[in-house]
Amino acid sequence: MTITTQDSTAVRPLRQVRSLARTTPGVLGTLALLVVVVGLAAGVFGAISVQGRVQALDDLSARSGPLSEAAQEIYRSLSDADATATGAFLSGGLEPAAVRARYEQDIAQASNSLAFAIAARDTADVTAAGSPLATLAGQLPVYTGLVETARANNRQGLPLGVAYQREASTLMSTKLLPAAQSLYEAESGRVSADQDRAGAFPVVEILLGLLVLGVLIVAQVYMRRHTNRVFNIGLLFATAAAVVSLLWVSVASFSVIGSVDDSRTKGSTQTDVLAKARISTLQARTDETLTLVARGTGKAYQDDYVKKTEQLKGLLNSAQSQATDDLVRDRVHDAWNRGQAWASAHDKVRAADDSGDYGTAVKLAIDPTPEGAGTAFDQLDGNLQKAIDQTRQSFTARIRDASDALGGTVVAVVLLAVVVAAGAAAGIWQRLKEYR
Amino acid sequence: MNRRLAAALGVAAIVLTACGTSGGGTTTERLAVSAVVPKPANAGDLTAPPSVTRQECGDKLASWRPEGALPRPGQMPAGSTMEKIAQHGKLVVGVDQNTYNVGFRDPFSGEIQGFDIDMAKSIAQAIFGNPNAIQLRAVTSDQRIPALENGDVDIVVRTMSITCDRLEKVNFSAVYYEAKQQVLVKKNSGIGGIDQLGGKRVCATNGSTSLSNIAQARSKPIGVKVSDWTDCLVMLQQGQVEAVSTDDVILAGMAAQDRYTEVVGTPLANEPYGMAIPKANVDFVRFVNGVIAQDIASGYWSASYKRWLDDLIPGPPPAAPVPRYKD
Repeated sequence: MTITTQDSTAVRPLRQVRSLARTTPGVLGTLALLVVVVGLAAGVFGAISVQGRVQALDDLSARSGPLSEAAQEIYRSLSDADATATGAFLSGGLEPAAVRARYEQDIAQASNSLAFAIAARDTADVTAAGSPLATLAGQLPVYTGLVETARANNRQGLPLGVAYQREASTLMSTKLLPAAQSLYEAESGRVSADQDRAGAFPVVEILLGLLVLGVLIVAQVYMRRHTNRVFNIGLLFATAAAVVSLLWVSVASFSVIGSVDDSRTKGSTQTDVLAKARISTLQARTDETLTLVARGTGKAYQDDYVKKTEQLKGLLNSAQSQATDDLVRDRVHDAWNRGQAWASAHDKVRAADDSGDYGTAVKLAIDPTPEGAGTAFDQLDGNLQKAIDQTRQSFTARIRDASDALGGTVVAVVLLAVVVAAGAAAGIWQRLKEYR
Repeated sequence: MNRRLAAALGVAAIVLTACGTSGGGTTTERLAVSAVVPKPANAGDLTAPPSVTRQECGDKLASWRPEGALPRPGQMPAGSTMEKIAQHGKLVVGVDQNTYNVGFRDPFSGEIQGFDIDMAKSIAQAIFGNPNAIQLRAVTSDQRIPALENGDVDIVVRTMSITCDRLEKVNFSAVYYEAKQQVLVKKNSGIGGIDQLGGKRVCATNGSTSLSNIAQARSKPIGVKVSDWTDCLVMLQQGQVEAVSTDDVILAGMAAQDRYTEVVGTPLANEPYGMAIPKANVDFVRFVNGVIAQDIASGYWSASYKRWLDDLIPGPPPAAPVPRYKD
């Protein structure tokens, strides 16, 4: 009941507004309101859209980019730590100081990268069921505890030490490394998603700009027909501002799109292939060590070694063909050569072990001699590291270019929107005044 | 813009608080996590008892009689298995690298040593005149028979009990050591034998006779299988199993590595060790039996026992086993 009475009272002012709107001043007033509202709204939504792009670029340079690097470092240092700790049990006696130092460095590196990765995430990400960060944070101390128990037993000359080391390696290969790998995959997925956001086609910005221009043109056509002036300074000014805003946003956005594309082809796509090559390298090295630990019954590890080195070859080939930088190309080329040297050292290791000369096989595999498998592996890994560093630098530089291209765009879009609104309002107001 | 931002933040804050109170529970609840205990590779509970057909096979301990005196080292009869091994240059032996003082990797030297290794070396000595003309391949309990069947090794000398089941697939030498299955527990655990382990977790390696004996014990313990014997000691130390049950000689090696453990109880079963040889190579079985007889007669066996096992196993050194032959 109350609704009908309210309706009937609301109808009368509406009718008055409608009849007023049919008069020229009424139309002019409405037009002024429309141009101001559309101009300001386009400014606000355009700015929000550009701000989204800025945010995506900030994420790339401050979050997903560094995080994918941290995740890759976690994988590398954990894998190397385990290969080092296991390798220390191959030859007799206590491990050399350099081997222990390498293990400690790896663990320090892994813990630090893990702390970084956790700090950059929300707590919900860490506590989520099956979160790789929770697995890594929870199991790394357990792993190091087992390795120290293994060392303590080994120091007393007890074969129990090797059993603890085997348990530690099992923990590493079944829990820690898979978690590190899925962390890396998730983070590089985020990089790609942020790139998609940052490099999206500026649909909203362009449509809003065209809408503002459309409204302004309609206003000017109406003014020309219903007033005696051909041009209206205020509206012309507003139109100019709208054109500048549209051009600015378009040029900046397309420049960002170009830079983000470059950040893929010259950066992240190559980094990803190189990082995968590195993971294969580390896995092959672990296989090589475990084949010797198994002492005659490690055929499964040797088969996996063959598989991983085949993968490595494929990945190095695609890294070579994707390379856009001479430095990267040289590093990958060196990595390939070191890979060949490793393969022939590995063949010698296998030949020695298979013929029963276990001592020689171990020496060839882990001693830091120039012709040893360990040396070739280190050099291969070092080359991949340098190539990865280089592609990451390109990535960071391209993202910085993109950020620079957007610099000041948000402010400009807002200010130009104010100019559009003010110019249009002033121009129309000038004509409206004539009807008083 | 600022007001918009403030409004947006306000809304976000309300949403977040709502989520926090409705879904997450208290902070202590959200921080709750249960420890995951690491396990040795391939460790697991026994779900079904290992299949043992336990059929009778006459005197399983009677092996093939040596043919006269041993040939001189380096002069193996033409066409014999020993000649093939001699041509290969090394005797390939499947051994253990995890059983303290029987077949284990000495942490100081990295070499595999022990009583079983001494036995294997005496065979290399008899073929080549050089005890080190030997290639040791570490095999787990369940890899022993496949390794022989695939021809990966010439002989397995690895705490391997002679059973009727196994005799269907491989040949055994005469008995070279007489072990008996017992139980290893933590000191002061109050457990005196397998009878007190009903429903408790008891460890043994996969593919061992010990594991079948645990599964068939009347007290019904839960069998836990692992790859290597030392893994059982790791699990005992970590509190994942209540006891380890296997041959006294293996348990003695574990007790020597952890003075908080002790071997208890009356023997569950006799476990006579033989060296396993591929089914076809009867000539090699006869040869190995000749070597074992020589080792016992010459005092090599006793010396090796004294070196590796005397300190670990209580009581005076046992007499060497008396070989039995079926022909």
